[in-house]
Amino acid sequence: MAGTLQRQPTVTPARRLAWRAGAVVTALAITTLFLALSGRDPRLLADLVVRSTVGSRFGLEDLALFLTPLLLTGAAVTVTGRIGVWNIGAEGQFYAGAIGATAVGLFLPGPAWLVLPLMAASGIACGMGWILVPALARAYAGVNEIITTLLLNFVAGLLTTYLAVGPWHDRVTGALASTGRLPVRIPEIWGVVHWGFPIALVIVLALAWLTTRTRWGYQITIGGANEQAARYAGIPVRARILGVMLLSGGLAALAGVFEVAGTVHRLQGGLANNFGYFGIVVAVLARGSCLNVLPAALLMAFILNAGIVLQTQQLTGSTVLAITGLVLFMIAIADELAHYQPVTVRPATVGPITVGKEARP
Amino acid sequence: MIALLTGMLSTAVLAGGVLALAALGEVLAERVGVTNLGVEGLMSLGAVIAIITVVATPNPWLGLLAATMAGATGGMLFAFATVIVRANQVLCGLAITFLGLGLSASIGHDYAGVPSPATFGRVPVPGLSSLPIIGPAFFGQNLPIYLIYLVLPALAHWVMFHTRHGLAMRAVGENPAAADAAGLPVTALRFWYVTLGAGLAGAAGGYLTLTYVPVWSEGLVAGRGWIALALVIFAGYRPFGATLSGLLFGLITALSFVGQARNWPIAPAFLNMLPYLGTIAFIIVPVVVWHRMRRIMAAPAALGVPYHRDVR
Repeated sequence: MAGTLQRQPTVTPARRLAWRAGAVVTALAITTLFLALSGRDPRLLADLVVRSTVGSRFGLEDLALFLTPLLLTGAAVTVTGRIGVWNIGAEGQFYAGAIGATAVGLFLPGPAWLVLPLMAASGIACGMGWILVPALARAYAGVNEIITTLLLNFVAGLLTTYLAVGPWHDRVTGALASTGRLPVRIPEIWGVVHWGFPIALVIVLALAWLTTRTRWGYQITIGGANEQAARYAGIPVRARILGVMLLSGGLAALAGVFEVAGTVHRLQGGLANNFGYFGIVVAVLARGSCLNVLPAALLMAFILNAGIVLQTQQLTGSTVLAITGLVLFMIAIADELAHYQPVTVRPATVGPITVGKEARP
Repeated sequence: MIALLTGMLSTAVLAGGVLALAALGEVLAERVGVTNLGVEGLMSLGAVIAIITVVATPNPWLGLLAATMAGATGGMLFAFATVIVRANQVLCGLAITFLGLGLSASIGHDYAGVPSPATFGRVPVPGLSSLPIIGPAFFGQNLPIYLIYLVLPALAHWVMFHTRHGLAMRAVGENPAAADAAGLPVTALRFWYVTLGAGLAGAAGGYLTLTYVPVWSEGLVAGRGWIALALVIFAGYRPFGATLSGLLFGLITALSFVGQARNWPIAPAFLNMLPYLGTIAFIIVPVVVWHRMRRIMAAPAALGVPYHRDVR
């Protein structure tokens, strides 16, 4: 018997990384092929992409602006993933956070040092409130959280548009579908990059410590690995699921707060820009490790930034969504294929055990 | 009042048909043990392909067929990844949704705002269609409505619960290892039912643009795929359950339309939230209130679990 493919239960990190790199390259190659087939020059596009992302200062600033919400929504989906729960509703919690922050920013006059933290607190509270019902239903009644969290995204999107067009609509400048400019803003540190970026970095690092080095983090990991065993060991799994989901809602909401207070400065429909959904991709790339959220969010931010370039080349913004889907699809396949390894099996060890006479053919 | 009820029920049957068809497709996939979270993307793809097809050849049946094929093609891609490679179903489903939404927006870019040149016309059944209230709603509609509410669910129900093949199909969803040991082709059954289910999701998208919202725009499907996924749970994984819950949610959609048409003192945005909030309520409330539901309406035991013959 020669070598056969056998599924291994575990995969070494190096092996997985190699397969995933292969997956990303394949996805980008397919994208390039499609772009070439639709009559565009891939080399010209690649040149443009590099120049407008890492090749220029403005590109780097844009990258950091994309990175900020992705770090937070990516971390939001990653922490729930550690206890075996999918929060597909980061998009909705992002909106909830933006709404909560705007409510304070528009209607509470005061100095920035006082108003900004209040905006953040209000936004985070709204995000937690937004995920509360799905979290309670998942923790205490076992209701599938994928669908409940996701459906609330549509509600949040409708609510945001309603507020921006209706009661909070800017009547001074008469701008369409947007509130007035917020009187306070998060100060910038580098070009258009505001303090939200370093804060998001610190939060992700803190989460990495919290999830891997504390008793709470350990309970979550065990609860995610085997709920029954964790409960038997005395871990309050339901309370942990509820807590992690609320934390997740708060993180995604903070991304919304930063977007409103640091980047866009007003509430408008479509504000979340799919950041919540791209957070899922970041979490998948990060594979449950908060530290991995950093490189994963960087890759995602790069793809989004490249998408801006594609939009200047008469491609719709949704092309990025399709590319992301393709990357995700390839990675899902690669993750499984990485389990298969050629093994040489010697017939003596696997063949029928023969005692006395020969086994019949 | 009569006119209001008649109009509402007609809208409900149309709007519900889209959900019922997509939910029926997902019932097929989930009964063989595969959760396809790509419904939203497949519906979107079907919706745009239907429009593109009828722009080329103005025949709604061809449009519906093309939408079905588009859905099935996407479904084959999904089934290849989840059933043959056995990759994570949640990831692949989300990937198909992203891919479907992005791709349909890209290829539909030039068709945005173009009204569908051919739609399914009303074919009133003589006599029955003049019944009060239910007549126009159930017997004065387009032809595919009978396929969606009657023929397909009846066929699915009969195959699923009254044939040997249906038993095999359900066995694969409940216990693939036992089904495999009994000599049933687990991989083939899963692959083809997932593909068929995805085809119905594509058809649901096509039906949407060929009857109910006959113009393409980005974000047209607007979460209907996700609602359909929730309806499968609510329907207890049964074909007629899917149809009836589709109709129920059609009623909720119709309610929000009536509210807007009659200038109820509620902002349209809140009326538009009703189907989503209703869906959430309908999957949470039964589980909380009525514990026996959990057993009667239980999901197939092997749902979402890839089957590896060599891993026990």
